[in-house]
Amino acid sequence: MSFSPAVQELMEALRCLPGVGPKSAQRMTFQLLQRDRAGAQRLARALSRAAEDVGECVDCRTLAESEYCPLCASNERDRALLCIVENPADVHALDEATDYRGLFFVLKGRLSPLDGIGPAELGLDRLEQRFAGGEVREIILATNPTVEGEATAQYVAEMAAEHGIGISRIAHGVPVGGELEHVDAGTLSHAFAGRRSYR
Amino acid sequence: MASTEAFEDEAAYVLHRRAYGDTSALVELLTATNGRVGLVARGVQRRRSNQAALLQPFQPLRISWRSRGDLGTLTATEPASAAIALTGRRMVAGFYANELMLRLLPRRQCQSLTFSRYAALLEQLKSGGAIGPSLRVFERDLLTDLGYGLMLKTDTDGNPVEASTWYRYELERGPVADPPGAGLRLPGQALLALASGEPDTADDPPLKRLMRSALSLYLGEKPLKSRELYARYRDSRPVDGEDATNE
Repeated sequence: MSFSPAVQELMEALRCLPGVGPKSAQRMTFQLLQRDRAGAQRLARALSRAAEDVGECVDCRTLAESEYCPLCASNERDRALLCIVENPADVHALDEATDYRGLFFVLKGRLSPLDGIGPAELGLDRLEQRFAGGEVREIILATNPTVEGEATAQYVAEMAAEHGIGISRIAHGVPVGGELEHVDAGTLSHAFAGRRSYR
Repeated sequence: MASTEAFEDEAAYVLHRRAYGDTSALVELLTATNGRVGLVARGVQRRRSNQAALLQPFQPLRISWRSRGDLGTLTATEPASAAIALTGRRMVAGFYANELMLRLLPRRQCQSLTFSRYAALLEQLKSGGAIGPSLRVFERDLLTDLGYGLMLKTDTDGNPVEASTWYRYELERGPVADPPGAGLRLPGQALLALASGEPDTADDPPLKRLMRSALSLYLGEKPLKSRELYARYRDSRPVDGEDATNE
């Protein structure tokens, strides 16, 4: 390769991003260095600040650079409601799409014994403490609809039940605007089993 | 270069799946005619992939795949029937069976019996039979398929095992009749029950100790993760109080 070492290194570094292969990394590098130096400076500062400072929220384990994330620090959320999700991205998705006013707890994964991921890796001890604290009255399970997600939901539900906390789970079903004949069998059977009265 | 093999419409179950690159997954499957295989499922982690819902544990599948060497590629996936819905301890028992096979079965070592035994185990777990005895029979058969079968009907002197006699089980040898003192002691009746394939829950505690010791010879030091989880779940049918998985 005929690139100078710094350029080469930038290209290789960019490839850690999802979906970025050698060709896209090269395009990004030229864009940053040739056409948008200011953007490159800003990206560099933002990256190094975030990589240095961002840790996790003490309460919900989502990404945050202060002790509490904005949601957990807010006075306007209902602290009796706790929604359990797998990833920080799920917090954002649910918060944007719904009028949910409670708090979240981020597992950062799911129980997966075959990958060596158990309750400790998901911070479930911290969740248990929170249940024991008595503030939470209802949990909403929003783990992904996979077998491991289901195992995780059941585990958390067991814990919540021990503390007399109400438990609900988000519905699994047919996508809005979709057509039944194109929905896979697993989703359809979940949707059917989870039907509810209409009037 | 190794020649390409292709397999069409083979019965299979997913044992484990993990991300492979940005959009693909590496899936370990148990197949009916090729034993355990590792296949790359391209594009399965994409947002709109319809394979993601199918490539789940406990879902009976028909798969097509091709292979050149150790790692193959999944070319088609169809459901063979509805997923086997397991909950609580029954689901963890299913994970346990998957973990055992991932740890013990080498890839592409054809054990056609293992497949039907695994399918039978999942049916038993689903239908609400006692978990422990079902797992013991599965463990017994898995060891047999691997060539480490346990001697259960005959003692080390070559005499038939008697139901009313106590034995000390010596691993890789067999039951020793009327043993003095310590060791892995169990009644002949439990050995015979396991041999018959129909142990009941009363036989389970000594058999669990036996299988745990026997499996540990081949599993090595690393503990089985699914076993840790088991105790924390409830059985949908609250008869099995005790931990039924094995290490």
